Amino acid sequence: MPRVSDLAARFADYARERMPGASEVRVEDLERIFGGASRETWRLRLCYRDASGRAEERRLILRRDPIGSLIETDRRIEFLAYRAFHRSAVPVPEALWLEEDPRWLEQPFFVMEELAGLESRPQMLLAPPYAEHCEKLGVQKWTILGEIAKADPEALGLTEAMDVVSPDTAWRRELDHWEGVLDEDEVCPQPIIRAAIRWLRRNPPPPAQRISVVHADYRTGNFLFDTEGRIRAILDWEMAHLGDPLEDLAWSINRIWCWARDERRGALLPKERVVRIWEESSGLCADARALHWWELFSCVKGQGIWVSSAREYESGKNQDPVLALAAWMQMNAQDRAALELMGHLA
Amino acid sequence: MKPEVGRVLEVCATSLMLDVAPHVAPPYRQSSVFASAMLLTCIREELDRIASRRVEENRALCAMFADAAPGIEDASLRERLARAGTEDDEDLRISVLEARNAALRELLIELQAYVEEQDSAEARRVEAAIWRELAASTARRKLGLNAF
Repeated sequence: MPRVSDLAARFADYARERMPGASEVRVEDLERIFGGASRETWRLRLCYRDASGRAEERRLILRRDPIGSLIETDRRIEFLAYRAFHRSAVPVPEALWLEEDPRWLEQPFFVMEELAGLESRPQMLLAPPYAEHCEKLGVQKWTILGEIAKADPEALGLTEAMDVVSPDTAWRRELDHWEGVLDEDEVCPQPIIRAAIRWLRRNPPPPAQRISVVHADYRTGNFLFDTEGRIRAILDWEMAHLGDPLEDLAWSINRIWCWARDERRGALLPKERVVRIWEESSGLCADARALHWWELFSCVKGQGIWVSSAREYESGKNQDPVLALAAWMQMNAQDRAALELMGHLA
Repeated sequence: MKPEVGRVLEVCATSLMLDVAPHVAPPYRQSSVFASAMLLTCIREELDRIASRRVEENRALCAMFADAAPGIEDASLRERLARAGTEDDEDLRISVLEARNAALRELLIELQAYVEEQDSAEARRVEAAIWRELAASTARRKLGLNAF
């Protein structure tokens, strides 16, 4: 990894190339921030004079591929998802540049605007000034998810970038994928999740009501909110794909996101209320049997992510302590969530 | 060892969280220090039970295998269950206990998949015992920091 000063200089070179009319281009205040373990996330100020000579400044976020990460994802899809939803009912930051040529910063990256002064950490919802806004945030969170579910992937231009799937095979594709991740990365036997996989295959869900854009990591922690209780941006689209919209709803209510240690999903609202909000917003039905299937699937997917983080850490590819912490904290919680759904939690 | 290992870990974690992290920049490094402090807190909790929970679980699995083996028709599986059911942990090094636990849990997966396919009261009895043990296994591993 280049030193921060080198990275700043190299990004300034890149910005000059992207903004041929600009002069005096320089990068200020470049610093790495915590933005999930799937990409390196950097914050910076890009200062320059525009073609008329006026001084300009943009606060930007640079997301760069790391050597190892929690999940193997496609930066192009993440970039295109941000682009697709910009200025829609789904708030997202403006995505500016996608660069897949490693000659600039050694690894592919993309650049988007920074929405400064906002919060995303789940634990911040447990105390003032955010705790009083949990209900309001919850209503927005699942209303926005309904908007994602009802958006037309073709009209958004995403069917060219994302693999198309049929309503009756969406479940199998996802289950095959995450079982494959477990087969590859499993660091210790997973009897509970293996039993869940067998159950899921014996009891497939009904076909998807429609094929939607699936954010695939829609949870508290992956959106920005302000002190007034407004959701300002949905982040972390790196796993986005086309599929059954119930996949997102189920992931968002996964037990492991009950940060407040009560029945509120994502530390915001109880499950029954979440489902009603989502149904009203999406115009779709959350069939109880289908949702149960996707909730149990979410445990398989979650365990896939946690065992991968353990594998990355153990292999030495990426020894960010967050990877070890995620594995330690979540593998057991994910097992307990699966047991609860299968009716076997003591 | 004195001071006691758990106490030392606790002090280190607290110091990292309260004395070191607030003075670390940039924010990403600060988050890493916090995460490291939380890891120490987890290690402190795990330390006291690190051998006992593995021994307890290995014994529970062996007892279950010994109980299930006579009712298993598949000769290969029955023989392996019976053999595992007679073994005990003689080497208490964590790496050895962990390796044995992994082998026993692999056998558990095989047994569970097998009985799921059987249509008998005995299969249901074994299956219920397996679920009880799996629930107990998550209770043994649960960390205080877990939200769920």
